Amino acid sequence: MTADPRALAELLEASQDQQADAMRPTRDALSELVEQSHEASVDDPEVNVVFHHEHRRSLAQSIGAAPMLGAAGGVALVGVLASAASAASSSDVQILQTAASIENLAVATYKTALTLPYIGGASANPVVTKFAQVTMGQHAQHADAFNAAAKQLGGKAQTKPDPAFVPVVNKAVKGLSGVSDAQGALGVVGLAMELENIAAETYVKDTVLAKSTTNKALFASVMGIEAQHVAVLLAVQALLKAGAPQDISLAPGTAATLPAAAGSVGFPNAFYKTNMAAPANQGALK
Amino acid sequence: MRKRTKQADGFAGTEAELVTMTSDLDQLHHDVGMPAMEAGVAEMIERMGDDAVPDRNSRRTFLVGAGAAAVGGAALLTVGAAPGLAAALTRSERSLTPTRAAMFPPANLKGDLAVAAVAASLENLAVYAYNAGLTAATAGKLGTVPPAVATFATTVKGQHTQHAAAWNGVLSAAGKQKVTVTNPTLTPTVQSDFAKVTDVSGLAQLALTLETIAAQTYQAETAKLKSSAAIGLSSSIQPVEMQHIAILYYVLGEYPGSQSSTGTPLAFNPTNQAA
Repeated sequence: MTADPRALAELLEASQDQQADAMRPTRDALSELVEQSHEASVDDPEVNVVFHHEHRRSLAQSIGAAPMLGAAGGVALVGVLASAASAASSSDVQILQTAASIENLAVATYKTALTLPYIGGASANPVVTKFAQVTMGQHAQHADAFNAAAKQLGGKAQTKPDPAFVPVVNKAVKGLSGVSDAQGALGVVGLAMELENIAAETYVKDTVLAKSTTNKALFASVMGIEAQHVAVLLAVQALLKAGAPQDISLAPGTAATLPAAAGSVGFPNAFYKTNMAAPANQGALK
Repeated sequence: MRKRTKQADGFAGTEAELVTMTSDLDQLHHDVGMPAMEAGVAEMIERMGDDAVPDRNSRRTFLVGAGAAAVGGAALLTVGAAPGLAAALTRSERSLTPTRAAMFPPANLKGDLAVAAVAASLENLAVYAYNAGLTAATAGKLGTVPPAVATFATTVKGQHTQHAAAWNGVLSAAGKQKVTVTNPTLTPTVQSDFAKVTDVSGLAQLALTLETIAAQTYQAETAKLKSSAAIGLSSSIQPVEMQHIAILYYVLGEYPGSQSSTGTPLAFNPTNQAA
């Protein structure tokens, strides 16, 4: 089964206008953020150094906790620990830059994925293609929002992808060369899912770490969106593994054809974990 | 819409693999999720002690309370359940006394504890609605119920039970009474809406409304809660409600993510429906 591509295309187009509307409150919030940050003096160097050291500890605890990308976060530990340069920025700026770096990587990953025939080409499931397109656009907006917040706090925009995860993503993409469409689709979905989960877990943690209530609200408005991406990818992965790609569909009546277990595979935990969260200053500009 | 071929053959393998996968996830949840929840919320209680919870030595009390509540999800709602919810109610449930909105949250709860009470009441309402839906489905009042929808409702009900238990654990640890009622402000609306539900699609729409309110409430509270531990708990639940929403949209044949009233996917989740 396939979705109605025309309807999805219309959704995509309409989203541009809707997102412009949706960003207005964010812009207002960002203005408020600047005022609050000035009042809170979050650029206190001593506070920033303490933040930096605190996250060296949390970083150490995160090593080896996760599969592919999580492990990459640990590998980057050496580099991060070797330099205290990132402590120069406020903790909120560091968090925001790291978030932007994750979003940049997500955009690049989906962009690459969409060049593959089984994700963005003729042999792709149209629902998967549209999901990748919409999701890539959402990550770009997240990056813009995080960078706007960082800049208004006096920081620089992070336009690069998270340095710890880039080699892993590149290796994973390279590994897709020559595989079957089915294997390739599963590989991309698995990679995207891990990246989305890292993003979601990072932002869950950031709602606690962020000093500004406006930043907390920004992270809170994004974390659930990433979690939804995870849920969809979990469902897609399960259906692909089960050899039921035809059930990846938004067509009416699809629910009736889904296996029972598909009703719960998208939300494996009652409480969202944070053990895969990226270290708060991993993507901060030096 | 592409025609499916050999549907029955395809299902045999699909079901087996997915059941195995779900079983693994369920095992993971009990091995990792529940202990993590208990540890996380216990930490929250300790950290809230400075400004919100008078009893700082209540970690053990909470762990017992939360565990019992998580296990006894059904009992959670038999004390203060809302009246009605149409024909799905049992006789004992129908005899329960409704909670008046003016009494809630109780006056002795302030700040983060008041938020905990509201959160628990929302979770109770969700549990109650899913329970009512499952009861109605079992009684054949919703027509044919797809297996995936039944699994969804059962699993989600369990997760909301755990959420309610977590918030009630906070209240218990603070020496306050657990919230065993459904949210009094929203209950009449849910009752009214449930009375109109005649099929699975209608039930999914109602569930979508409840999940959206819950997710947006947690999201809005993130910037209002005082205790960082309370923020952590709230933030650990919001994404799960959002995942419920995504799958509900999928079941309804709509784009599986946060969206506007016209169905446009949103990159930033709004809070206009927060309780």
